[in-house]
Amino acid sequence: MGLITLSTDIPWLSLTWLSLVVPSLLIAVIPDSQKQLMRIVGTGFAFVSLVLSLLLFLGYSPTVGGFQFVERLDWIPQLGITYLLGVDGISLAMLVLNGVVIFTGALMSWNIENRTKEYWVLLLLLTTGVYGVFVSLDMFLFFVFYELAVLPMYLLIGIWGSTRKEYGAMKLTMFLMAGSALAIIGMLAIYFGSGLRTFDMTILARNVTMSGDMQRIFFPPLFLGFAVLAGMFPFHTWSPTGHVAAPTAVSMLHAGVLMKLGAYGCLRAAMWLMPTGARYWMPIIAVLTILNVVYGATIAMAQRDAKYIIGYSSVSHMGLVVMALAAGTQIALMGAVLQMFAHGVMTALFFSVVGRMVYERTHTRQLPELGGLGKVMPFAAVMFILGGLSSMGMPGLAGFWAEFAIFIGVWEKYPLIAVIAAISIPITGAYILRAVYSVFFDEVKNPEFLNLPKLTWQEYTGAAILGTILIAVGLYPSVLTEIINTGVAPIARQLSDVIVAVRP
Amino acid sequence: MFQLTDIPRILPEILLLVLALLVLGSDIFERWGSSDAARLERVRASAQLTTIGLGLIFVIALVQSGYVYKLPDDASANFFTNILRNLQAGGPGQQPIVGAFATDDLTMIARLTFIGAAFLTSLLCLDYHPNSNPAEFYAMILFSTMGMCLMAGATELVLIFLAVELTSIPLYILAGYFHGETRSSEAGMKYFIFGAMSSALMLYGMSLAYGFTANALAGNSAANDLTQLGKIAELAGQGGPVLTLAMVLIIAGVGYKVAVVPFHGWSPDVYQGAPTPVTAFVSTASKAAGFILLFRLLTVAFPSLAGSAVFGENLGGWTSLLAFLALLTLIVGNLAALPQMNAKRLLAYSSIAHAGFLLLGLIAWASPEQFDRDQGAVALVYYLVVYTLTNIGGFGALAAVSLAVGGDDVKDLNGLARRNLPLAVLFAICLLSLAGVPPLAGFFAKFYIFMVGWQSGAWWLVIIALFTTVVSLYYYLRMLKAMFMEAPATDEPLSAPAGIMSAISISVAGLVILGIFPNIILGIISRVQSIAGL
Repeated sequence: MGLITLSTDIPWLSLTWLSLVVPSLLIAVIPDSQKQLMRIVGTGFAFVSLVLSLLLFLGYSPTVGGFQFVERLDWIPQLGITYLLGVDGISLAMLVLNGVVIFTGALMSWNIENRTKEYWVLLLLLTTGVYGVFVSLDMFLFFVFYELAVLPMYLLIGIWGSTRKEYGAMKLTMFLMAGSALAIIGMLAIYFGSGLRTFDMTILARNVTMSGDMQRIFFPPLFLGFAVLAGMFPFHTWSPTGHVAAPTAVSMLHAGVLMKLGAYGCLRAAMWLMPTGARYWMPIIAVLTILNVVYGATIAMAQRDAKYIIGYSSVSHMGLVVMALAAGTQIALMGAVLQMFAHGVMTALFFSVVGRMVYERTHTRQLPELGGLGKVMPFAAVMFILGGLSSMGMPGLAGFWAEFAIFIGVWEKYPLIAVIAAISIPITGAYILRAVYSVFFDEVKNPEFLNLPKLTWQEYTGAAILGTILIAVGLYPSVLTEIINTGVAPIARQLSDVIVAVRP
Repeated sequence: MFQLTDIPRILPEILLLVLALLVLGSDIFERWGSSDAARLERVRASAQLTTIGLGLIFVIALVQSGYVYKLPDDASANFFTNILRNLQAGGPGQQPIVGAFATDDLTMIARLTFIGAAFLTSLLCLDYHPNSNPAEFYAMILFSTMGMCLMAGATELVLIFLAVELTSIPLYILAGYFHGETRSSEAGMKYFIFGAMSSALMLYGMSLAYGFTANALAGNSAANDLTQLGKIAELAGQGGPVLTLAMVLIIAGVGYKVAVVPFHGWSPDVYQGAPTPVTAFVSTASKAAGFILLFRLLTVAFPSLAGSAVFGENLGGWTSLLAFLALLTLIVGNLAALPQMNAKRLLAYSSIAHAGFLLLGLIAWASPEQFDRDQGAVALVYYLVVYTLTNIGGFGALAAVSLAVGGDDVKDLNGLARRNLPLAVLFAICLLSLAGVPPLAGFFAKFYIFMVGWQSGAWWLVIIALFTTVVSLYYYLRMLKAMFMEAPATDEPLSAPAGIMSAISISVAGLVILGIFPNIILGIISRVQSIAGL
């Protein structure tokens, strides 16, 4: 049994995603002048969605495992499309992450004055899509939500962003849509290749009837389709540009949750449904991710714009996630999911400090122009350092356990790759410390910085929540690892004995 | 033999004719009015009469089809049920009237689509004042709609040709309606010349087919109707070069009408030059009619020549030909749309590209399983319905913008979101549906047609189609960018006429509802599988 018992009569999972559709419709009819009301409604419902995902997390029973809170309705029965929702350990970790990031992201969005209504509607629609992806078990439904999560991004970045926003928005959208096209190819291949004519992923995973050759051919499109969103080399170039261009809350959601959507898709759709194909391609993917991890970190070292540093550090960290996926052992997969969680919280924290607290006040993110902000806003400095330490893998913070598990898992399968990837650890330390030093500790270079406006309560609350989670998970990781383990175990088992899974 | 009981079966066509004559006739009595105020009054009168009439005919056709409510056989007889029963006696089913006009489910659904499209178009025209002889403008729309309905049901070569001409000639006139404007006149002239050319090609193909059957029957009466033609073609085995040539010519002829590459040359100029509501009508109803005609022709008359679209296997037959045309259409349509600066022209290329997707539904006929062929027909019709709704919405929004701004370049859309947010949002939804973004209907339509295309063995084409979809997103996003991100030329609000707004709202509501619950009409559409006379 879970820690609390949830009534089975209530469609909890539908409520989760609906809890963000409702406010976006509500905000659409609030008169333009009532900006404060829009913010309260948006943030309030974001909090409701966070509470719902926490309830689910507590209500899930790890001893029973598998998919729980399942909802099933016929949608388009002629084509084998159902409205099928359910969560396991992996999706629960992601749900909580999404709840945290959207709530804190909403708090960081209170300063949007330009076209407030459209902003909130789009932001909430985007998050609806993210929730939907994490709870859906039907591939078609999964894809519908996936696209819903990607498209509002175009307008959000293009209208409210900064620094070459239109270019960044278009590049991001085109990359992700090309990814979706690839993913559709893979989906159709599974649908027809398995001969089952259903999009129900639980059925497709239980009987992998697709031939080994088909799996080997169609695994790359499906995996790459989602890996584009996870920022896998060489398809990562959209990500730093997009992160830099996006407004704060969108960067937070984007690096914090959306990139995880990609990794989640890789795991849930590609690796789960095509284990033989996965086995065949995993070494090649692992080699590619070395470039992600090491090259991403090196590029981050060379950046002067603080957001670019975080952007490339995301490329590097997400590379670790995909590398762990490619290792495919139980501990590696667990590390991958934990890293998704830890990195999501950490990046959200970074962007809220750099994008909101610093940039909105100083209007620059260039390291040489900043400096000494630790004296002006010590809270921001503390939070940034906290995130930085987690990113470097400091024991006692969430990032440590994730990277630890990943390196153990990768070492088991590909020792050489683990060694090469470990080069990134000192580089990460170097660029994080460099950023911390030149933003917060150097001398105050611009006297105007001494008179910056004070931090608002929204900024304090949001960052404090994120920081607390980093520490809490760092001190007591098994709050997450236990549930995540129940989720990744079946996939790891399927990957390790593909002989059973393949029926030629 | 034509019987009196056949009248209810062609009731919608009769009503369209009556309405057209009524619109023409009512205006004759108002000829006295040539002052500006009086002319405006005449325009309004004709427009409203057309709109209301079309709305009524749509309702009658819907009731007649029995898709919404079918009168049970044991209903007690009273005044209303008697009317209803007589009306529904003309519902789907039965043998074609005099062997020439089938009233099966395909005709019914196509009819509803065309009349619905004409209704929305007339809503768009309510505030789009034609400059002279208003009644003719509306009557032409009605005549053309009638031609389309006949085209959808025609099962005989002669009726097919007559219906195609009845559809096209009013459209030539409509395209060139603003004869004061160079572009409009050019559009009319171009459309006419290309149309005449394509009719000639089609007629030549038909006469070849007719002659072939006469020859095969060795002196007996030759086959004029499609079913018989199909049987003879099957008897004759592969049919030989004559029948194949006939088929290719017919495909080329219809290919012009539906603007498939390489027969698309006329369409960007015509779409750009014609009055915007007319463009909406030509790009939707006329294209849909062409596709339904093509579907009936190929599947009834030439099933033995279907061939296959599987890559590198048994090339020959019309599915391979269509696969090749689809490949060209997808690539040329989408790439040529990229650099366009004029929004109407951009949408013209986009609708060329959509013809490529539609062809995939026809190609599904190549699959060996009956089940998959049926799915192909369903996917095709679903796509047509959705595409019709979307494009009318899109061109409608452009009509509103060009009425207010006076131009229809992409840059005229700049800052539309700040000048009229509802219009911008509705237009954006139409564009995203065209691009195939879930949860809008355009996504499911595309997805479904990809599925049937994949299943028929044309997976290589599906993969190319998927990537052209990504390309297409770029130009749709360009328009979105103009509307939402660029600064407006002026800050004053842009007012859109009520008629246009209601037409766009209807189509957008349809897109959202059909996108989330495609089942609402999939059940009805899946009846098209039973084609009369097959």
